[in-house]
Amino acid sequence: MKIKILGTGCKKCNELDTNVRECVKLYNLDIAIEKINEINDILDFGVMTIPALVIDEKVVSVGKVLSSETIKTIIDTQ
Amino acid sequence: MKKEFRKLGGIIIIFLALYFLPFNREIVKDVFFNGLILLQNYAREHVLLCLIPAFFIAGGILVFAKKDAILKYLGANTSKWISYPIASISGGVLAVCSCTILPLFAGIWKRGAGIGPATTFLYAGPAINIAAIFLTGTVLGWELSFVRLAFSIIGAIIIGFLMDKFFREKHNEKTFIITDEKLQFSKIDIMLFFLLQLAFLVTGSLPINSILKLILMPLYIILLLILIFLKFDKNHNKLWISETWDFTKKILPLLFLGIFIAGILFQLIPQNTVQKFLGQNRLFSNFFASVFGALMYFATLTEVPIIKELMRLGMGKGPALSLFLSGYSLSLPNMIVITKLMGFKKAISYILLIVLYSTIAGFIYGNFMFQ
Repeated sequence: MKIKILGTGCKKCNELDTNVRECVKLYNLDIAIEKINEINDILDFGVMTIPALVIDEKVVSVGKVLSSETIKTIIDTQ
Repeated sequence: MKKEFRKLGGIIIIFLALYFLPFNREIVKDVFFNGLILLQNYAREHVLLCLIPAFFIAGGILVFAKKDAILKYLGANTSKWISYPIASISGGVLAVCSCTILPLFAGIWKRGAGIGPATTFLYAGPAINIAAIFLTGTVLGWELSFVRLAFSIIGAIIIGFLMDKFFREKHNEKTFIITDEKLQFSKIDIMLFFLLQLAFLVTGSLPINSILKLILMPLYIILLLILIFLKFDKNHNKLWISETWDFTKKILPLLFLGIFIAGILFQLIPQNTVQKFLGQNRLFSNFFASVFGALMYFATLTEVPIIKELMRLGMGKGPALSLFLSGYSLSLPNMIVITKLMGFKKAISYILLIVLYSTIAGFIYGNFMFQ
């Protein structure tokens, strides 16, 4: 599984990034995390409200800072 | 590392100022004293009734307003009769936070209605902002506040339209994702939520009997509290408060610094210099004001106290409008970002169009309107 965090480096984007990393560490998940910073690359996902979360190339959340618990639930349902 | 160097730089500057400034000289005392007086004036007149409620509304917009409903009208297939007007006013809901403006701009441009409406959105976004409208109104008067708003909307549409004429591209094939996320609250409750806060803001800034204010304003707060406890859930309310706190943290410290600087400038800049470059409503003053505004960086809302002090020193009302119109949307750092995003040709056209429009708008307002 692969998770991408889309965000230009604003405060909320960094918060989501932290939460994802925390979640992966906490539950000991085998997941690769990648942060996408360039606006044009973010647009390629069709997303305009950041931060956004992408799991295996599928956009699962836009414009929200999810807590690490919520992220875990989303990962489980994928 | 970069951050640490910046901190070090800040400390060195403060240290040098403390070391060398002759604080016991009368002139230096006067200058600092004036900065403090101006701060006190804003703290007394504008913070409680104007800024704080505006931050609550902005926080509420982030949590409760449906952004996707608006984005729908900025897609690739929307007629330009709809996309331009929507782009010019949607900033009030879509762009409450300046960090969201650029991704939205790029999205509307490359995956939605195209460069025209995207530019319209980019230019008008920061102007259509509750805090800016009300602070301008209470500090500089409602005439200038409404003129500023109207000229921003008109200018945004003109500039967007011209950019589209210059740089028309073929139709966008890709589109953006519209997540039709349902909020679980009724539309009427959300409308009431915003209306009550807006009523508080409006009542607070109206020149009416203060006893009436004392009755009405607590009433709004009580109604609002009843509404959010009965109709909204705890999570959303908490999110609303934390977004509001975020705004306050981000904007207030810089605004206070800006007010203090405005107070200092008032003492330091000689009156006849201001009158020479920004006085009356000559074409030159308007042009100078719009170039100055385009280059200067104003943190959110700080343009208001600075323009107020410049007007006290003799800046005409036309140049004041020019400064507003180019000041909030352009600055040197911002030009670099825009150039990176749009490319040199488009960016330079955008910047020149804004400077030109601001000059003309200021000239028209200064010479022909509300005489």
